[in-house]
Amino acid sequence: MPWPSNTRYLGKSTPRAEAPAKVTGRAKFTTDVAPHGMLFGAILRSKWPAANIRSVNVEKARAAPGIRAAFAMRNGAFTVRYAGEEIAAVAGISRDAVLDALELIEVDAEPLPFVVNELEAIKEGAPRVMPDQPNLGEGRAKVTGDVDAGFAASAAVVEGEYGTQIEIHHPMEPHGHVTQWDGDELTAWSSTQAVFGVRGALAENLNIPQSKVRVICEHMGGGFGSKFGPGVEGIVCARLAQIAGAPVRLILSRREQALAVGNRPSSFQTIKIGADASGKITAFELKAFGTPGHATGVDGGGGSGGAGFPAPYIYTVPAIRVQQGSVAVNAGASCAMRAPGHPVASVGMEGALDDLAAKLGMDPVEIRLKNDPSEIRRREYEIGAERFGWKEKFRKPGSSPGPVKIGVGCAGAAWMSGGRGTQAEAQINSDGTVEVRVGTQDLGTGSRTVVQVVAAEILGIDIGLITVRIGDSRFPPSGGSGGSQTTASVSPAILDTCENVLAELKQISGIEDPRGEHWLEACRKIGQAPLIVRGKWKEGFSNTGACGVQFAEVEVDTETGFVKLRKILAVQDCGTVVNKLTCESQINGGVIMGIGYALYEQRIMDDRTGVVLNPNLETYKLPGVVDIPEIDILLLDMPERGVIGVGEPCTIPSASAIANAVANALGVRVGSLPITPDKVLAGFRSAKT
Amino acid sequence: MKDPIEPQAQSSNFPSAPHGFTRRAFLKGLGTSAISAATLGAETTAKALADVNAERVHGPGAVPVTLSVNGGTMTFQLEPRTTLLEALRLHAGLTGPKEACDRASCGSCTVLLGDDPVYACSMLAIEAHGAPITTIEGLAQSGELTKLQQAFVDKDGLQCGFCTPGMVMTLTALLRKNPHPSETEVRHAISGNLCRCGSQPRIVAAALTASGTEVADRLTIIHPHEHALA
Amino acid sequence: MKTFTYATARSPESAVELVRDRGRYIAGGIDLLGEMKDGLVAPGVLVNVKNIPGTSDIAREGDRWTIGANATLAALASHVALRESLPGLAEAAEEVGSPQMRNVATVGGNLAQHSRCWYYRHPDVECLKNGGKRCYARGGNTKYHSLFSGCMCLSPCTSNLAVMLSALEARIVVQRGAKSVTMPIAKLYDASWREARAQNSLEADDLILHVEVPVARGLRNTYLQMAEKSAFDWALVSCAAAARIKDGKLHGVRVALGCIAPIPWLVEEANEFLEGKVPSDENASRVADIILRDAETDAHNAYKVPLAYALIRRAITRLSA
Repeated sequence: MPWPSNTRYLGKSTPRAEAPAKVTGRAKFTTDVAPHGMLFGAILRSKWPAANIRSVNVEKARAAPGIRAAFAMRNGAFTVRYAGEEIAAVAGISRDAVLDALELIEVDAEPLPFVVNELEAIKEGAPRVMPDQPNLGEGRAKVTGDVDAGFAASAAVVEGEYGTQIEIHHPMEPHGHVTQWDGDELTAWSSTQAVFGVRGALAENLNIPQSKVRVICEHMGGGFGSKFGPGVEGIVCARLAQIAGAPVRLILSRREQALAVGNRPSSFQTIKIGADASGKITAFELKAFGTPGHATGVDGGGGSGGAGFPAPYIYTVPAIRVQQGSVAVNAGASCAMRAPGHPVASVGMEGALDDLAAKLGMDPVEIRLKNDPSEIRRREYEIGAERFGWKEKFRKPGSSPGPVKIGVGCAGAAWMSGGRGTQAEAQINSDGTVEVRVGTQDLGTGSRTVVQVVAAEILGIDIGLITVRIGDSRFPPSGGSGGSQTTASVSPAILDTCENVLAELKQISGIEDPRGEHWLEACRKIGQAPLIVRGKWKEGFSNTGACGVQFAEVEVDTETGFVKLRKILAVQDCGTVVNKLTCESQINGGVIMGIGYALYEQRIMDDRTGVVLNPNLETYKLPGVVDIPEIDILLLDMPERGVIGVGEPCTIPSASAIANAVANALGVRVGSLPITPDKVLAGFRSAKT
Repeated sequence: MKDPIEPQAQSSNFPSAPHGFTRRAFLKGLGTSAISAATLGAETTAKALADVNAERVHGPGAVPVTLSVNGGTMTFQLEPRTTLLEALRLHAGLTGPKEACDRASCGSCTVLLGDDPVYACSMLAIEAHGAPITTIEGLAQSGELTKLQQAFVDKDGLQCGFCTPGMVMTLTALLRKNPHPSETEVRHAISGNLCRCGSQPRIVAAALTASGTEVADRLTIIHPHEHALA
Repeated sequence: MKTFTYATARSPESAVELVRDRGRYIAGGIDLLGEMKDGLVAPGVLVNVKNIPGTSDIAREGDRWTIGANATLAALASHVALRESLPGLAEAAEEVGSPQMRNVATVGGNLAQHSRCWYYRHPDVECLKNGGKRCYARGGNTKYHSLFSGCMCLSPCTSNLAVMLSALEARIVVQRGAKSVTMPIAKLYDASWREARAQNSLEADDLILHVEVPVARGLRNTYLQMAEKSAFDWALVSCAAAARIKDGKLHGVRVALGCIAPIPWLVEEANEFLEGKVPSDENASRVADIILRDAETDAHNAYKVPLAYALIRRAITRLSA
C-alpha cells in the first residue's frame, strides 16, 4: 500500500484534536445546545407491555402552564407492544412543566396479554406479540455436508447450551436532539453516528426535501450502533418544534435508554460439535433462537430476522447444520450493537470448542491452531500465547486448587471492516492554515484526529495548521460511523483531497513540492480567496478483514461466586495504524465492553408485570474502574494491508475468552452470560454434587 | 436580615441551606435559646418577629437562590425542586457537568462542593445555596490546562468525552487531597464515575501521570519482521 | 419531582414541627430525591435537618461512641480513632455507594433509607410496599431479595450501617414529638419484619439524632460484603460480627447479616452457640447453619445461602485475625 512509510504523524501518537475542549467542558454536545427561546420536549410512554390504546386526550396537558405543544403519536386507536412505546409528546418552557404535563394526558387503554421472556414466548398458548404470526419464527436451516456421518466419525462429541443476554448500549450521552425550524428549513442538532442518515430519515418522515434539512453533530457521547437514525424521538422533537414555533430540545432519560432505543438480541444456543482424534472439527450443529424484541417474526434463514448470528463463526467445518430463529417478546426492539451478531456467535462457538478440547484432553490454543483458517489469527495465537505465558498458566479444567480457582481462556474474532465512499474538501488559506471539512462524525473514536493526522502527513505540515470540521450535513458526505468503517472510509478521502491540494498548489505557486518547508511560501501565492479542493475515497489505501485473538486470566471464588479478572491480552491486527493513541483507547474500550457482556450486564424483564426491572445504571451494571484488570495490547503492524477499522473486532472475543477462563477455573461451564455470582455458585455446587 | 435566604454558620461540610421555620417554632426558640429579649432591643425583636411572619418556608414557587460557582456568585429564581445540576446547566449556562443518569449512578454530573466531589444531579440547588461550587469550567480559567487536564489530553483519558468533566472533577479533588495517590487509590476515587467507552485504563494513567508517577506502556507494536506475516 | 416547600430546621423540635404537613426530612437526599424523581413519594415539604446543632459530631466518651445522624459516611470512614476502635463500622461506611455519595450521605439517611427492591422502585409497578395489592417479588425475580421475612414483602434491609450497628448493639436516639427517645437498633427495624408497607419502625415525624455505640474492652468487630461489582454496588449479602476475645475464645458474640431479611438478621441461638468457643472454621460453619436454618429460597435467591455461609465463616475468622 502506498501510504508513506517514513512518517511524522501517521502511526504515531497524536492527542485527539477535541481533547482540550472536552477536558475543560467547552465541548458542546447535543444536550448542551440551547438556541434562544428553546423549549423542552418529553414523551409519554406506555406503561403497559401490550395494550389497545382506544384514545389519547392531550387537551389538559396542552392547557397546562408553560406548555406550547402536545400531540398523540397517532390518531384513533392503536396498539402498543412493549412497556416504553411512545404514546404522546409535549413541549414546554421547562423540564418540570413538561414532566408535570405528561401526567395530565388521558389514555384510555385496554391492556392485552403479553409475554416478555423468550422461554415463555415459545410455549404453546403464549400470548402472541403480533396477532397474525407465531412468536417463534424458525427461519430456514442451513446445511452443508453430512452432519450425522460427521458426528459418527468423530473421536469426541460434546453438546452444550450457551446463552447470551440482552445487552443495552447505554452510551453515556442519552439519545436526543435539538430541532429548530426557520420557515420550511429544519436544523437538527443530533447525537448521532450518521449525520446524513439522520438528515435522510428526518426528511422522509417529515415529508420535506433533504435540501431543507441540516443535521449537526459536533460532539457526541457514544452510540455503539444505536444512533444511526433520528429515532422516534428525533421525529417527535421536530414535530414539537414545528407545532410550538420554537426550538425544542428532547433528550431521553436513562430509563428511556433502557426501554426504547435498541439493544443486542439475546441467544439460546444448543451446540453439538465433534472432532477427530487430532482435534480437527468434523461436524457442527446449532439450534438457536433469541429475541430482538417486539419487532420480529421475519426470518430470512440463518436468523436474519433480527436475532441471528454467524455460525460456526470463524471456523471452517465440513459438515454443518444450523437452525436459527427469532422469537418475538413484548419488549423494546434490538438494533445494531458493536459487532452485531459476532460476540453472540463467538460465545457459543468458542465455548463449545473449549468444551470439545477438554473432552479430547487438548490445549485450547492447540485446537484453535488446528481449526482456524486464518493465518493471521494463528500467528496471533502463537505470539499472544507466548506473551501471556499460556503454557505456564494453562491447567486442565477444574484442576486449580483451593476455593479461589485460577483459570485461563482464549478466543478469536473476525470482522469485515472495510468502508468507502467518503468525500472531503480542504480549504487552504494564504497564511498556510488548512480547514478540512468532511461530513463524518466522531463517536469518541477520534475520527477528527484521524483526518488531522492524515492531512498533516500528506501535506507535510505541522498538525497545528489543520482545523478539522466534521459532523455537519452541509459538509461533503461520509457514511454512518458503523461497521468499523469510518477510518478506512475517511482516511483515503483525506489522502486524495490532500494530494489534489498539492497538485493545485504546485500549479498555483510554481513550487515543485509545496510540502514541508515550502508550504507557507506556496500558500502565500493563493491570494485572498482561499483555495478549495475536493477529493474522495479511492481504492488501494484501505482494506477489509480485521483479525484478533484475546486471552483472559481470571480467579473465581467458589465460595462466593465472585469472578475477578486478573489480566486480558488483546492481539489485534488493523493494517496501517493511523493513530496509535486512539487505536489503543478503542481496543481498551472494546475489551471493557466485552467484560461487561461477560460478567455484569443484562436487561432483566419481569414476567408478570412485563416491565424492564433494571432500567437504570444502578441495577443494569456496567463495569467500573475497579473491575477492570490490566489490559495489554499487541498490535500487529501490517502496513501493506492499508487502513482497517478496529472498533468492533476488539470487542468480539473478550467475553468468550473470559467465559472460557471461568470454565477452565471451575471445570464446569456457566451456561449463560453474564457470569454473575448466583450462577457461579449454582453451577459449581451442582457440578460438585 | 436583608435577603430572604440568609447563609448561616456551617456545622458540617454541608453548605448552609436557606433556613426557615414556622412561627411557633421560632417563638419557642426565642423563649429557650439563641435569641433572648435581653440581648435584643425591642425594635430588633419586632423586626425578627416581622421576618418570622414573612414567608419562612420556601417555595413551592421560585425563590432566590445564590450559587457561588467558580469564584463568582449568581442568584437565580429557582423552585426548591430544582437540582443543582439543573441550576448549573439550565440557569447558569454551565453545561460542563453532564446529565447521564439523573440518579446518582454514573458521576457525569460531578462537581466540587468545597473540596468534595458530589453528584449535582442528586442535590437540590437550594441546598447548595452559598456554598463554594467548582465545575469543570472553573478549572483552567486562565486558559492554561491544569496538569491533570493536560494529562487527560496527552494520555488520551477520554473517548466520547461525556464522562470526562465528571472524571476530571473527581480526580481533581483526589489530587488536591492526595497529590501522590497509588493506582488503587485512583481507581477507588473514580469508582463512582462510569465510562461506557472504556477509557478507564487511560484515565487512571492520566491521573498517575499528573501526579508524577511513571506509567507503563500497555501497547506494543509487533513489527513485520517479528510477526513474519507476509 | 412534584413541587414542594423547603425549610431548614435549627432544632429537633422545629424539625418535627415543620415536617408535620406531609413532610420528609432531607439530609444527604440521594435516596429521597430518587424516590421523588420516580414518583414514589411526593412530600409537601422537605425539612433540611443538617443544620441542627451537634448532629454531625463523631465523639467518644469513655466506653461509648456517639455518632451524629448528620455525620457523613465519608466522615465516618475517615475518622482515625473511630476506625481504630470500630473498624467494622468504618468498613461498612466505606462500602456504601461511591465517594460522591459518601460525601453527602449521612448516617441517619443510611439507617432510614427506603427499600431498593426493583418492584418497589419501578415507577410503573404498584407493589405491596408502595400501596398496591401484591408483592411482585414473591414468585417474581428475587435475585436481590430476602431469605427470611415475617410479612408478604420480600424487600431486604440493605443498610450497611444497620447490619454493623446491630452486631455492635448500638442504640438509636430519636426525636419523637417533643422528646427524644433511645431505642436498641433492632427496634428501628422490627416493624418492617411484620409490616409489608413499613420501611422501618420510624413514625412519619421521627427524626434520628444520634447513634450510640458501646465499646467493651477488647471488642473486635468486622464487616464484610459481597456485591456483583468490586465497588459502587449494593451488597448481595453482607455480614457483620463483633465479639470480645479472651484467651482465644469468643465472648459476647453478635453476628448480623444484611440483604437477606427486612431487618438486620441476627439469630440469638447462633450468638449463644459461639459463647466461649474458639473462632474455628468448624464453629463458624455450625453457626452459619444455625443462622441460615429455615431460609426460604427460590431459584433466584437460593445462591444467597452459600454466599452468606461463606461470609459468616470469613467474618468470624477475621475477628480473630
